[in-house]
Amino acid sequence: MAGAYPAPEQAGAGISVAAVSFGYDGSPILEGIDLEVREGEFLSLLGPSGSGKTTLLRLLAGLETPRMGRISWKGTVIRGAGIERGVVFQDYSLFPWMRMVDNVALAIGKADPGGKKREHRELAEEYLRMVGLGEAIGKYPFELSGGMQQRGAIARAFALGSPVLLMDEPFGALDPLNRAKLQDLLIEVWSGATPRKTVVFVTHDVEEAIYLGDRVAVLGASPGRVIAEAPVPFERPRSRRRLFASKEFRALQDRISELYHADTIERLEAPGIVRDPAEGI
Amino acid sequence: MEEKAVERITVPGSWDYGTVEVPARDGVGAARRAGTRARKGVEPYLLFGVLLLLWQLAATFLPQGGNPLLPTPLVTAKALRASLPELLKGTYYSFLILVPGYLAAVGAGIAIGLLVGTTGGLDRAFTPFARVAAPIPPTVYIPYAIAVLPTFRVSAIFVIFVGAFWPVFLNAAAGAASLERRHRDNARILGIRGFEYMGKVVFPASLPHIFSGMAVGLALSFILLTVAELFGANAGLGRFVQYYADFADYPRMVAGIIYTGLITFLSMEGLDRVRRKALFWVR
Repeated sequence: MAGAYPAPEQAGAGISVAAVSFGYDGSPILEGIDLEVREGEFLSLLGPSGSGKTTLLRLLAGLETPRMGRISWKGTVIRGAGIERGVVFQDYSLFPWMRMVDNVALAIGKADPGGKKREHRELAEEYLRMVGLGEAIGKYPFELSGGMQQRGAIARAFALGSPVLLMDEPFGALDPLNRAKLQDLLIEVWSGATPRKTVVFVTHDVEEAIYLGDRVAVLGASPGRVIAEAPVPFERPRSRRRLFASKEFRALQDRISELYHADTIERLEAPGIVRDPAEGI
Repeated sequence: MEEKAVERITVPGSWDYGTVEVPARDGVGAARRAGTRARKGVEPYLLFGVLLLLWQLAATFLPQGGNPLLPTPLVTAKALRASLPELLKGTYYSFLILVPGYLAAVGAGIAIGLLVGTTGGLDRAFTPFARVAAPIPPTVYIPYAIAVLPTFRVSAIFVIFVGAFWPVFLNAAAGAASLERRHRDNARILGIRGFEYMGKVVFPASLPHIFSGMAVGLALSFILLTVAELFGANAGLGRFVQYYADFADYPRMVAGIIYTGLITFLSMEGLDRVRRKALFWVR
């Protein structure tokens, strides 16, 4: 958190990441990250393992503090985690000792501290039905499949009512069919809400990044930095079948893949690199 | 505890507080559902029968046939039946000591343990102290407690409190300290802080550890209870055994030992049931 920087008024557009670096004990993970996410935009953050994309998301959430640079939301520097930014992690975020409805009601209660418990529960049930978990309201997370748990995590994130939603490879552990279903659910819920949430969606899947995003930012590895940004010109609602068959989609996919893989291959072929210091981050 | 798929970590610097149980990420739940841990056989009953037979043979064929020091199973069973009212009363008096001492230890152990496990400063303050104080066998406090405290009951409660406190405390602190990062992250993102954080996140997440500390503490409580009663009680389970040993009534004494074992076993089973109920979500 660089308090030395004055908060410029014009940077109030959305999430603003300016010259952010982060690392542990001299091994840099992120270096000189500049990134703007407009309010209501869906940004896909694409990067290979070791590019620090999870770290960047944790910085955006306020779970970590940048060593250099500043991250702000509508001109206000982000200090610490809070309910203004909902987060969905890859390893299902729900508390295993609480029923699904209590998990979601807990979030609603935090967003509406003065409200009645019964109303929170009713609202929680509504959110769970919205993500297709009407049958699982009274169940515990361990009684549900990974995909269903992730639906619950999405319900909780939306129930929090935060203007920003950060997602860290939320569908990474799911099978392709469930993955596609949840992608569509996410877009449906996101487009249905007004005003739209600002979403940063971390993935290492090029197709997913394009299908979901308004824009794709590509991170390179060792240390992590933004190597490319590409707008996704396809209109919503997008049809998976028509989109994947179109030449424009494939051209964009090829270009992003090229950038994405070129960086990886370059690193693999670089002499002297035995072990990536940022591996597993 | 009987689960196999747990990682066992020994608590450094403790003498008999057993292991700290860390729930394995997976495996236990699957094993439980598959019913592998519920395997029951005839073996325990067989061993029981063999032991009973050996006992009978030893008691019958020992030199000076019918040695009063080793009554036969039948004689012991009769003695057990005859002294059942007295034993039940003894159980009542013993529990008047055990329950308050143990519950106070569990309450204090959990509260202080969770605080210490989550607060770096407290952890640094407590750890050196705990390393010195925890390994002292609590039985050595008994004579002093009886001398210093006003009544036998109060001193026995105190000794049980001290004995059961350390395993609960150490396990609660270890449980809180090993809280998974995702739970901590989620609590921070949802803005859960302070008492709510302790009650809704740290406490339930530490329950697997806390229950293993409680089991060690309960076993220790029974040991301390009976030892304390040998010193100066006028009623209770340990007192019963001591009393009839003084009168060389060995059938009643052996009956008292067996009865005490049974009560201890049932209490431990009861705690284990509570544990399994409370930890339904551990996989």
